[in-house]
Amino acid sequence: MKRKDILTLVILIVLTIVTGLFSKFYSELKMVNSVILFLSGIKFLLVAFQFMELKKAHIFWKIILTSYLVLFCGIIILMLR
Amino acid sequence: MNKLAINYKNIYYPPGGILLWIIIFLELITFGIALIFFVLSSKENPELFHTSRLQLNATFGMINTVFLLTSGFFMALTVKEFKIKNISKSKKYLLATMLFGILFLILKTIEYSGKLDAGLGVGHNSFFAYYWFLTLFHVIHVIVGLVILTTIYFGLKKEKLTTEVEDVEASAAFWHMCDLIWLLLFPTIYLIL
Repeated sequence: MKRKDILTLVILIVLTIVTGLFSKFYSELKMVNSVILFLSGIKFLLVAFQFMELKKAHIFWKIILTSYLVLFCGIIILMLR
Repeated sequence: MNKLAINYKNIYYPPGGILLWIIIFLELITFGIALIFFVLSSKENPELFHTSRLQLNATFGMINTVFLLTSGFFMALTVKEFKIKNISKSKKYLLATMLFGILFLILKTIEYSGKLDAGLGVGHNSFFAYYWFLTLFHVIHVIVGLVILTTIYFGLKKEKLTTEVEDVEASAAFWHMCDLIWLLLFPTIYLIL
């Protein structure tokens, strides 16, 4: 259990650094915003499912939180096009 | 302590409790709508938002993200240790959780004082109005979270333990909510171009 949490933290920190570096060095790429939001979305789900133990919850809560995230990121990406 | 195992698969008992999850969704929706309006405003005035964003310190934002994520990691461990009745370890992890929360607030204070010294207050332009309102609203949540965690810590310190597993889980869910909000705020305000 603890090992999974440590692994999750390492992945979260790596994704944070990758997101920061990507926004700094690839800012001219067209898809930069989508990549940043995608990586942040993965972090959001990792925190919710692993740290908040949403993975143990009823499927309703998993679907509703994931739907919220997809909707939020989708709207932002569409607006930035 | 509560001896009954909670059935999380029951739709009415998500980890942290259904009432707290309703609050979490209300908060996420509120911040989500505010961030959508922020992006809408940036489309109306792209140059102003671009130049203003360049005045933010993304490195501070990244370090603060790491602080909050590490704090969330220790919070998850606090709950796990509490569930197996290892109270002394649970207390240590809870202290680590609060320490990283305080580090987040210290760095945020340094960032805010830099902005104020540079004259980039709430009234500077619409970008900074959003920046201050959204990040300060989040900071208020972190402070409230720290107060909740402090009460849990003193509850755990009592010789006769009255803290229930639901109390620790609910406070953990609130604390993780601060992480979730920050994980949406940070890329949208600091990084997206």
